[in-house]
This record gives sequence, structure tokens and C-alpha cells, in this order.
Amino acid sequence: MRVIPSAELEAERRAARFSRIAWLAGAALLMLVVTVQPLRDTDVWWHLALGKLITAHGIPPQEPFSFLVAAHGWIGQQWLYEVLLAGLIGAGGPGAASVVMGVLACAALAIAVLAVPRNARVPGAWLAVAVVLSGLVFGQLVGVRGQVITLLGAAIVLFVLARWREGRVAAVWFLPPLFLLWANLHAGFIVGLLLAGAALVMATPVAPAVTLSRRPLALALGGAVLATLINPAGSWLYGYVAETFANPTLTQVVTEWMSPDFHNVWLRVFEGEAVLLVVLWVTGGGPDRFHALLAFAALIASLQSQRNVSLFAVVAAPQVALYGWRSWQAHVAPRLHRGPRRGPGPTRTTLTAAALVAVAAAAGATVLPTITPAAAASFEASRYPKTAVDYLLRNFEGQRVYTPDTWGGYLAYRVEGTQWGRVVFLYDETAIFGDAALQRYLDVHLLRPDWLTVLTQESIGVAIVGDMSQEASALHVARWRAACHDSASSSTVFWSPGVAPPSSGLPSAGGSTPAC
Amino acid sequence: MAEPVAERGAHTRRWLEAATSPAGLFVSAVAVLSLFPVTSVIRDPDFWWHLRAGQLILAKGALLGTDPFTYTAASHAWTMHEWLTEVLFALMQRAGGLGLIVLVLSVVTWAGVMLILARAAMRAPHRFVLGAGLLLGVLAGYPIWGPRAQMLTFVFATLTLFLIERHLARGGRSVWWLVPVFLLWSNLHSGFVIGLGFIALVCAAEVAGRRLRMPDGADLRRVRTLAFVLLACTAVTLVNPNGPGILLYALQTQTSAAQQSLILEWHSPDFHDWVVLPFGVMMLSLAALAAYNRRMRARDAALAVATVALALQSVRHIALFVAAATPVWIDQASIALQRVRPTRPGVRAKRLPSLRFRASVGVLLAAVLVAAYAGGRLAPAMRVQPGSSVYAQEFPVAAVRWLAQAPHPLRIFNQYGEGGYIADQLSARGDKVFIFGDAALMGDQLLYSYAAVEAVQPTWDSIIRGAGTDVVLFDASTPLADVLAQAPDWKLEYRDSLSVIYAPRDRLAALQLPPSVGVQGR
Repeated sequence: MRVIPSAELEAERRAARFSRIAWLAGAALLMLVVTVQPLRDTDVWWHLALGKLITAHGIPPQEPFSFLVAAHGWIGQQWLYEVLLAGLIGAGGPGAASVVMGVLACAALAIAVLAVPRNARVPGAWLAVAVVLSGLVFGQLVGVRGQVITLLGAAIVLFVLARWREGRVAAVWFLPPLFLLWANLHAGFIVGLLLAGAALVMATPVAPAVTLSRRPLALALGGAVLATLINPAGSWLYGYVAETFANPTLTQVVTEWMSPDFHNVWLRVFEGEAVLLVVLWVTGGGPDRFHALLAFAALIASLQSQRNVSLFAVVAAPQVALYGWRSWQAHVAPRLHRGPRRGPGPTRTTLTAAALVAVAAAAGATVLPTITPAAAASFEASRYPKTAVDYLLRNFEGQRVYTPDTWGGYLAYRVEGTQWGRVVFLYDETAIFGDAALQRYLDVHLLRPDWLTVLTQESIGVAIVGDMSQEASALHVARWRAACHDSASSSTVFWSPGVAPPSSGLPSAGGSTPAC
Repeated sequence: MAEPVAERGAHTRRWLEAATSPAGLFVSAVAVLSLFPVTSVIRDPDFWWHLRAGQLILAKGALLGTDPFTYTAASHAWTMHEWLTEVLFALMQRAGGLGLIVLVLSVVTWAGVMLILARAAMRAPHRFVLGAGLLLGVLAGYPIWGPRAQMLTFVFATLTLFLIERHLARGGRSVWWLVPVFLLWSNLHSGFVIGLGFIALVCAAEVAGRRLRMPDGADLRRVRTLAFVLLACTAVTLVNPNGPGILLYALQTQTSAAQQSLILEWHSPDFHDWVVLPFGVMMLSLAALAAYNRRMRARDAALAVATVALALQSVRHIALFVAAATPVWIDQASIALQRVRPTRPGVRAKRLPSLRFRASVGVLLAAVLVAAYAGGRLAPAMRVQPGSSVYAQEFPVAAVRWLAQAPHPLRIFNQYGEGGYIADQLSARGDKVFIFGDAALMGDQLLYSYAAVEAVQPTWDSIIRGAGTDVVLFDASTPLADVLAQAPDWKLEYRDSLSVIYAPRDRLAALQLPPSVGVQGR
């Protein structure tokens, strides 16, 4: 029997740790391809506009862009995110925001999978599999948006709770400062409180030798709740969250709040991950009660609203790694005929490092072309009515403008800092606007019988709508005139018969609509 | 010979003891109660064109080669995959009116529920669990139940799964009954492809389950027999008026992007809608039970996963989930209950009243429930006639009556879900619709054109006029109706609480429409 020298053992341990880190880092780097995205989320523009506004004048007491009367005073629930976003884009352009938020999303996945119990000794390959699978699931829901912060926060809470369940009580004192920051960045901090609350009630130690002390977690959780009150809106922040969830119109109007449409391939991947998780529970020795509770809660939330699929991905990531590894050990590993176990030698370590560099290079080569200023400008022009708004700013100063809610935030961003005042109809901060304002917008958007009356009553003189939208057809029928066409975003600027013609002159009668 | 008689007597007594125990009475009550949700008036918009097609087939004595109902797809070749159902609808309507169709389809659906019960009972589950599982299954299928051709696929699916289970568990030759079943099924409804898929899935799952050492696998010889049955069933499905094309037709429907995106029934379930919640509860609780028990047969796992995937894709497939997964749920819940509260030998059962008393209570309970069903649910549903106010809430009953007064046949641009009703009521006069519910016959191009008009895209007017439309009959509270109200070259001719009818001003004189109804001002 050969006695392994302690130096050799230590070298083996180091190499194994390096291999684990390399797998995890490689998977996270690979996922940058999915998580680094242009400014796709339509909400990003009003957050950006607010960030600029807050930086210059502080948090506004009322909704600052719309001519509708909002039901509630402004709750600056993401004020810090907005300020940081505006600063980041001001300093490095949209590309910088894409990279930072993409990295945060990948960090959320990497931290989430590290919430596996340490004594399970889950190999790096399984961590990588879980990161990639969950990354593919939440890829459509990340990008430059505040929800990424909530995913990161949830991952950190999962990590802290995993350490607490191992008996590392000191970890829980990380929660109050985390929630202080989180509550000022995104209203999704509620998710973190629910995770910690569920652990307090239901979690068991990861090993029989560990004694779970609930009091520190209870105290830390209490501290975290108090910390969330330190924000510009104070306890009203909770009212804002309740208002968002209680608004029935929201779930009918905003796609992201609707149930998942499983005709979409990426939601099939989500379904696949959910089924896989149940299979791994069954084959991996059965789920831990706390894990099962979290997964089912996230699954129910996802079936209600597809935006929660990203949360499910974060919750499922450590479980896929843990139960996948257990299943492998129980059912596959015994059937594999292996020679004597050899630790990772220097050649293998070198190869691992080379593979990691190759993955990083491939990810960089894929991502870099998408974050250049030219790519960002091109994306903006194709996705948002950039040229149409340019035309609007030149020709219809001060006119109230109808746009779909998804373009309302972009218009707010474009007129912020000008002398135009409140010209935007509505954007997707529905909890502030309230249901009455939302219904008023929907009267026009869904062409309800009083759609034209609403336009008249609100003194709306100009509209920017998609070429193929029903509003475009309706405005044609109502004899609004097409002022110009933005071919990049497939949108048209209309003006009402009661409004003075564009200052650049009338389009030729009977001819096609001129370009903006 | 006396011994078998005595044995039979003992068997009957054991059965009676079980059936009249509190749990047995619960199962019986659930079985009778399940009649209520499966019975209703006709809500399926497709029913009406099926009925009319059946009448035309009977009149012609042959299948209809092309579409007789539309002015837009009249040249399209019609694969009449439900020709026998349509003929049966027409015959039943002739014999006993709509009431007979409602009765027969309710009984057929209920038979499917009973086959689920029979399949679940084969594993001798806890009887309360059997009743609770059946109740949950019936509630989960609520969005789909009702008199409609799809219920034939539901009952044949449950029969297929029952015969498969019986064969794999007990052997015998009864599985060969599937061959005539598929011969009939493929002439009644194109959903028979699902049945073939179920057999193939079970065979594959049993083979894979054996390799993966999953519990309670079936004898491989029986699986092999099942594979031969599958081949025979596939062969007999070709014996239909459409030949092998019927297989392609079924696959086309499943893969058409236009149908999947435009037809509501093909959409994914909306879990904000309370009627879908029992399905969600059943699906998630099945996952929880599977995780808790960690013991599931390969074929059960495969059927559950496959039908969950189908049901999440399209609401209409929830019926298949109920057919396949309800016995699995019952089995898993029984195993879980046994783990939580194991039956302890030696513990005396609670003393129950005499068998005679319990049997009397059971009969009385069943009689009351059946009477309540017949009087409160079935009879009212059977009495409703096509022109009644009940149907007027969902179909343009009054508007169609108004159009029937026009002296000449009309070309009607209509709502997709109302085309069947309009065709049924007006096609005999020669009126034609723009579109109706046989989406495969309509074709993706026409579906997209219709969707463009319904969404009031800028081409809406040219699509309507380009097709040669005489009038637009549409729901009043829709964007199209509101745009037509503003359009200067369209005139409102008819309005009721459900529908509006607009006609082009330049053709009003030629159309000679009846006097306007419900129109003020314009």
C-alpha cells in the first residue's frame, strides 16, 4: 500500500480546487454570451431618464413625465439603480451597462450554485452544468434591467442560508447590509425576505452533527426588515410592492406578468429544467424539505408570471447541481469501470487553464461586437422610434404624444432635460399610475369605443405608433395625417387634424409618407 | 360445481362490502357527481359546422371534396378527418334534435371518466384517494368538458390506456381490441394519433425502464405484443376515406404555427384563470408526490411527463393529461398515504352498520344524485335550441336571423369562432363565410389574413374588400368594430348587444339588405 506524501495530497487538493473554480468560471464566462444584452428591456429608458433627473434635482415627489394624473406619489423604489445606471451609461455608454448587468447576472448564477452544501463535494462539472442550464432558462429575462439585482440578491441570500445551515452562523449578519442596499436598488428585495423567512421556519441542518441556531437568523432577518425601511419612501415601499401585485390589469396587459407561453422554445427549456429537477430529486435520494419548498414556490410563481422564471432558474441552479451529482453517484458512477483514481496532475491543470482561456476568448469575441457604440446605436434605432422622435422634437414642440406604453419610457428619456414638460401618455410604471390611468391608456391602445374621445379629452395632438399596429389603422380612419415614417423602427408619426402642421412643412398630398 | 358459485358469492359480498364502506360510497358519489361538469349546452364553436357538414354528407351520399362554406377557401381540398362524427351528429340531430347529441356526448365523456376510474382501481389504491383523485381529475379537465367532437378522443384515449394497463398487468388477448378501436377512432377524430403515441411511449418507457431498473416493470413479452398491436393499429388507421393522408393531417395541425398562435384553444393555460387552477394543483401535487415517494413505474412517468408537456402547450390537451395522469396521481397519493399512515395489522376496523343498511343508503344516495343531475343539469342542457337566448349570448343568433331576411346570398366577413354557427344557419341559402373553425382547411395564409383584419392592421380594409365581402358581421366590443364605426366608407346596418353588421356604402343599393336594426344617427 503506497502512502501518499502530504505535499502531494496538498498539491492534489489545490489542483482539484482549481479545477472546480475553472469549471464554474468557464460556465459563467460562457453564459456572458447570453446575459450581455443591448438595451432590450423597454423600461430601461424611463429608469435612465429618472436617473438623470434624480442626479440633477433629487427624487421627484410626483411622476415627472406623463400628463396623466398618477394615482400615487412617486416611490423612488429603484432610485439608486437609476442613478448608478445613468452614471454608468454617461461614463461608458450603453455597452458598459450591458457588460456590467451581464456580469451581475452571471455572478448571480455562480453564487447560486455555490449554495450547495460543502460536504456534498459537488464537482465543478456539475456546477457548470447547472450554471449553463439555468443561464439558458433565464437568458430571455435578464439584460439591462433592475430585476438582475434581485436575482443577484436572491442568489446571495441562498448562499448565506446554505452556510447558516452548515452551522456558520456569522454568515447571517451579512443580511441586514445586503437588504439595506437591495431595498434601494429594486423592490424585489421582498423575495429575499421570503427566502430567509422560509428558512427560519422550515430549514433543517445539512448534517446531523450541525446544530441549527435560529435566533441569529431571526435577529438578522429582523435587522434586514428594518434596514429595508431606510429608503426614500420608508415603509411606503411595501405599499408599492402590494400595489404592483394587486393590480389585476397588469397581468392582462404586460406580457411578462402573464402565464408562460410554452410555444416559446426558451420556456420549453424552463419546463425541461423543472421536469429535470423533479427527476433528479427522485433519483438523487429525495429533496431536502427546504429545497422542495423553494422550488415549488418558484415554480408556482413562474406559472403565474413568466418574469418569475428567472427566479426559478436561480433557485433551481444549486439543486440541479446537488441532486444531479447525487443521482450520478447513485446510478451512473457504480456502473462505470474506472482504473485507480488519479488526482489532477500539472498537465491536466494546464489543459484546464487553457480551456478556460479559450472559453473566455470565445465569449469575448462573441460579446464584444455587440457592445460597441455603433451596435448600441443601431439597436436603439431599430428597436425604438429614434428617428421618429428626432422628427417630433424638431416639429411638434410641446405637443402631447400618444405612444404605446412600451415606447413611453423611451419618449420620456428623449424629452428629459428639455423644456417640453409633460408630454408622455404612459409607460410601464403601472403601480404609480394606478388602474384608472391604465384603463384610460387601454381605451386607446385596445381601440375601445371611446378611444378617439380619450385622445381629444387629453389634448393629444401627435402619435408615434408601429406601422402594423391597430392604432395606426385607427388613426388613418380618423383622418389623422401621417407626418413621417421611420423605416428603421417601422413606426409612423401622426398628427391630429386639430394641430398645427409640422414646422418643417406639410408632406406632399396624395404622395407616400416622407421619411422622418 | 358448487364451489365456484360459493366463491362468486363471496366475491360479490366482498365487493359490496367495499362499495358500501364510507370510502366506497365516497367513490360512488364522486363517480355520479362527475356527470355534472361533463354535461352542458353546446359551447364548442366548431360543433355547428361539424353538424352542417354531416348533413351535407348525408344529402350527397359522399364526402365533400372541397369547402362548401367559405368564399375564401372554396377551392381547398378538404381532408374530412371527422366525417363519421359529423354523420353521427347529423343522424342524431335528425332523430332527437340537439338534446340527443348533448346526452350522447355527456355519456361518452362520463364513460371516459369511468375508464380512468377502472384503470386507477387496477392498482387497488386507497379508496378515499381513488375518489379524491378522480374528483381532482374531473375538476382539472373542467376547461375542456362539454359536448364536442374532441371528447371522442378523450374517451378513446382512456380506453386505450385502460387496455394497455390491463394487458401489461394481467396479459390476455383483450389488448387486440385496440385494433378495431383505432379503426373506428381514425374515422371519428384525428386525435387517434395521440393514441398511437401513447402505445409507442409505453413500449419505449418499459424498455428504457428495464434498463434503468425502474420499479414494477412489465413482462417484456407483453411489451413485445403491445408493439405488434401498435403496428396493427397504425395499419388499420389507414382504412379511412382519406387514406394515409390522415396521419399527415394530424401532424400538420400540431405543427402549424398559425394555428398554434391564433386559436385560443391551442394557447398555453393561463394560470390567472381560476378554471385552470385545478390542473395546476394536480400537476404540481403529482410532482410533489413523485418526489416524496421516489417510486414510479416507467410508463407512468413517461405518460405523466408527456401529457404535462402537451397540456402546458395547449389548454385543449388538459383532457389528455387528465386521461393519462389521473391514475398515476391516485397511485402516487396511495403510496404516500401508505407511507404516512401505514396499515397496521391487528388493528380492528371500525364497526359499520349492516351491509343491507349501507347498500340502501348507497342506492338512495345514487338515486338522489342522478335525479338531481337529470333534472338540474341534463334536461335543461338538452332543451336548449340553436336559436335560443342561451346561444344568443355566445353566437350571433339575432344577427344571423336578420341576415336571413336578405333577398340574395351574402358573403360575410365573420369572427373566426362564429363561422361555424353562421355556416350552419345560413349555408343552405347560399351565404358564405370568410372563415370557420377547420383551421387546417383554411390554411395558414388565410388564417394570417384573418388575423391581420382582427388586429386591425393597416391592410384590414383591403383584405376584406379584396376577398369580395358583402358585409362584416363582428362582435360589437372589438377593435375592428370600433374602427368600422369611424370609417366613412362603411355603414352600420345592424346592432345588438353582441354583434354589429357593417356594409360598404358604395354597395348598399346592390346588396338590398333588410331595414336597419339598432342603428341610431349615422
